[in-house]
Amino acid sequence: MADAKAGAGNAIVGMGRGSYAMLLVFFLGPAVVIYTVFSIYPLLATIFNSLYLRQPDGAYIFNGLGNFQTLLTDTTWSAPFWNAFRNNCYFFLIHMLVQNPIGLALAAMLSLPRLRFRATYRTLIFMPTMLSVVIIGFTWQLILSPLWGISKMFLNAFGLGFLFAPWLGQESTALITVSLISVWQFVGIPMILIYTALLAIPEELIDAATVDGLNQFQAFIWVKLPLIFPTIGLVSVLTFVNNFNAFDLIYAMKGALAGPNFSADIMGTLFYRTFFGNQLQLGDLSMGSTIATMMFLIILIGIMCYLFLIQRRMQRYSF
Amino acid sequence: MSEVKIEKLCKSYGPVEVLKDIDLTVEDGSFVVLVGPSGCGKSTLLRSIAGLEPVNSGNMTIGGKQVNDLPPAQREIAMVFQSYALYPHMDVYNNMAFGLKFAKTPKAEIDARVNEAARILQLEPLLKRRPRELSGGQRQRVAIGRAIVRKPQVFLFDEPLSNLDAALRINTRVEIAKLHKMLKATIMYVTHDQVEAMTLADKIVVMNNGRVEQAGRPLELYYKPNNLFVAGFIGSPAMNFLPAQVKKGGTLALSDGQELKATLPSSCKTGDSVTLGFRPEHMTLGGTGNFALTGTVDIIERLGESGFAHVRLPSGQTIIAEVRGDPRTSSGQSAKLTFNAENLHIFNAEGRRLG
Amino acid sequence: MRKPASAIAVHGILILYTALALFPIILVIMNSFKARKAIFGAPLALPTPSTFSLIGYDKVFGDSSIVSYYLNSITATGGTIFFTLLFGAMAAWALTEYKFRWNTLLTLFLAVGIMVPIRLGSVAIIQLIVELNLINTLTALILVYTAQNLPLSIFILSEFIAQIPKDLREAGRCDGLSEYSIFFYIVLPLIRPAMATVAVFTMIPVWNDLWFPLLLAPTGGKQTITLGIQQFLGQYITDWNAVLSALSTAIIPVLILYVVFSRQLIRGLTSGAVK
Ligand SMILES: Nc1ncnc2c1ncn2[C@@H]1O[C@H](COP(=O)(O)OP(=O)(O)OP(=O)(O)O)[C@@H](O)[C@H]1O
Ligand SMILES: [Mg+2]
Repeated sequence: MADAKAGAGNAIVGMGRGSYAMLLVFFLGPAVVIYTVFSIYPLLATIFNSLYLRQPDGAYIFNGLGNFQTLLTDTTWSAPFWNAFRNNCYFFLIHMLVQNPIGLALAAMLSLPRLRFRATYRTLIFMPTMLSVVIIGFTWQLILSPLWGISKMFLNAFGLGFLFAPWLGQESTALITVSLISVWQFVGIPMILIYTALLAIPEELIDAATVDGLNQFQAFIWVKLPLIFPTIGLVSVLTFVNNFNAFDLIYAMKGALAGPNFSADIMGTLFYRTFFGNQLQLGDLSMGSTIATMMFLIILIGIMCYLFLIQRRMQRYSF
Repeated sequence: MSEVKIEKLCKSYGPVEVLKDIDLTVEDGSFVVLVGPSGCGKSTLLRSIAGLEPVNSGNMTIGGKQVNDLPPAQREIAMVFQSYALYPHMDVYNNMAFGLKFAKTPKAEIDARVNEAARILQLEPLLKRRPRELSGGQRQRVAIGRAIVRKPQVFLFDEPLSNLDAALRINTRVEIAKLHKMLKATIMYVTHDQVEAMTLADKIVVMNNGRVEQAGRPLELYYKPNNLFVAGFIGSPAMNFLPAQVKKGGTLALSDGQELKATLPSSCKTGDSVTLGFRPEHMTLGGTGNFALTGTVDIIERLGESGFAHVRLPSGQTIIAEVRGDPRTSSGQSAKLTFNAENLHIFNAEGRRLG
Repeated sequence: MRKPASAIAVHGILILYTALALFPIILVIMNSFKARKAIFGAPLALPTPSTFSLIGYDKVFGDSSIVSYYLNSITATGGTIFFTLLFGAMAAWALTEYKFRWNTLLTLFLAVGIMVPIRLGSVAIIQLIVELNLINTLTALILVYTAQNLPLSIFILSEFIAQIPKDLREAGRCDGLSEYSIFFYIVLPLIRPAMATVAVFTMIPVWNDLWFPLLLAPTGGKQTITLGIQQFLGQYITDWNAVLSALSTAIIPVLILYVVFSRQLIRGLTSGAVK
């Protein structure tokens, strides 16, 4: 008689409870352990750390949300924090306004029927995305450097030489310049994701629109664009997460101090500086954790917005 | 001895009961075909016997050995899947040899068995090919070959021919029948194809809704269906059913007033509601017979040598009758359908066969 | 694009953009082969026999550590790919094939890691790595990168494993394979293409990462090439030959890999692996 165990328990006939558990442990164990120990535990521990304050004698005491209060209100902390937050918002805004529209436009062109050299364009335009941010940062630093004068030469060629300025070195332009370099590097990601979504749209839909009297451009606006909204939503949230977690480019180009008078400081560099310390201050584990937790919250809010607002509304469009 | 015996087998997926109290015996060396509507549990039954699904209760023995808690490989069964399930990354030889290698069969023995199977199935020139380099029919044969080399007590086939085109299906059907004779194997076989079922089976098992409705020799099911479900399921086009009432003196009154006089089984009482069943192939249009029904021809589907007349009775019900040759009748005309009393099936209100 | 005029316009725009995307890269590589004078005198000219010079590369490779940095990067990236694929595929298999009580919960638990960047836990990661005595080792990098890449790889591989016909796994069971053999002999060979995609996805960010090498292995000769180049550049900031050659040294292998794998990568991206 087959007992209840076989029916109710695992789905493998002739395997006892013990060996089934062994099986699961064998397959899931390594991944779950590594992931928990090196990813989830550190995240939780960081949040935990943010609740403690370092005493002058080196001991840590529980401080509740005190660190957050300090970070947001005590001017020694709040001024850099809000500066970094504001800069990060600009950084994100520039990506949304420049990177994603360009990505969309490139994807739209690449997905045109009967376009020749499609694969070549796609591969070449995606190339900068593959390179390390460090390399990109330095390369642009050289190109924009007044010493080498490449950019000036270019502007001169168009009679615009007077526009040249050491953009990376000026407080007023450093952030925009760095943002645009980041846009230049990462435009491949929205391009490929949107391109993929466009390819997935059945050709008949466009044919139907053509029969309805729409031209290519109208068909794109009225038929394709609504259908790729979910992808645009995804691209936006990816941009958000990446931007509020960015560090490498600014560190590579401007160092941990992030440009003249912190003008290109963003959350990632602020976090690094706070935790490790620098010429101006000592490293602070508690406040570093506090800033990391703030970043975590900001990113979480972004993801929540995406999941609840955008994702829900857009599902109607999926086929 | 490789008899399969199933007793009181129950199986559910969560709250859904898929197999309910299945009792079934497959005699040694016999060919048993499982039929039934989609979703009735045929595959589940086969997979339970194979040990691919755990069951909730009941008992299964294969060759006298209880197998309930044995893993598939120890049940001495072989299964041929509808999709063939050939390992795409191995050539034909290795597809057949794979299971034997895992059973630690000696190399020479593996070679011998695979070559033997390849000879029987004419796969010898294909042994070095990958499955994707084979045609549908060849893949099918490899799947059967993989089953043969295991020398199982029981072969389990789940719709093995449904992915083949019509001509190949007939060929392979014949091959399988030959193979059965040659190997004297016990076979359980699921199909949706009536012709396959009727021609291959020693015994057909009709399933519905997780139960066995009737099991018996093909012609037994055809001539003496136990109930309305089996009657409607076996035969194509399906049996015609008409409701009727038993009148005094053994007359059967249809709802539109037409009456039939028949010798009724003793269990029929006056006033009972019954269902009459007659097969399209047993009716003739305008011929002679002890029974007659009149109606209007809706449409005639002509297939050449024969055809089907859809005749509407005054009650509004439609009856399908087979017609031979090219009848002159055309739609809109009235027609008289006749048939013989011995071909009439009568079912009681619960759908059980009477007499 | 029926009308030739608009076709030409589209090609025009695409060519311009492609030029914009490639120009800085080409510029750096081109000038790395020139003598200092030519770098400044005619930055847009190709190297000629008279301007050709490898002096920058002499300096880069004269600093013998660059070669060992490459080896470090290869080890860290290779190790990460190996463990991500192996453990990822194993977990993906268990999550798709086996029923158990915590299945859904575990899937959600793993999904957290797809969206939340592991960097935010850096403070605790450093403490942990110090605790484990792994600071300035490649092991530390491999562990952290594996943790970082596992969730997405499990997610992608699950989709592919779910596509393997159920019949095939059951044929394996009928053939007498244990669950472990089914995984290693049937499932793994069948998801090789998916694993190649995941490998490429894993490889690029790990190779390029600056953050964790900076935090976990900044000194002691265990720098990755990305960090090594960053430190090298900081050191030789005024030596343009050295800087340009160092940049090229870092760019060229990645470009070669990209050209080799671009098909795989783009196919992976366009097959909807990342959705
Ligand atoms: N894994 C499962 N979980 C839940 N229900 C299932 C599962 N597999 C099958 N079922 C249900 O069990 C019932 C029987 O399925 P089964 O596959 O045995 O039908 P079948 O008779 O083989 O049908 P078909 O002729 O279409 O192959 C169906 O109602 C099906 O929905
Ligand atoms: Mg089935």
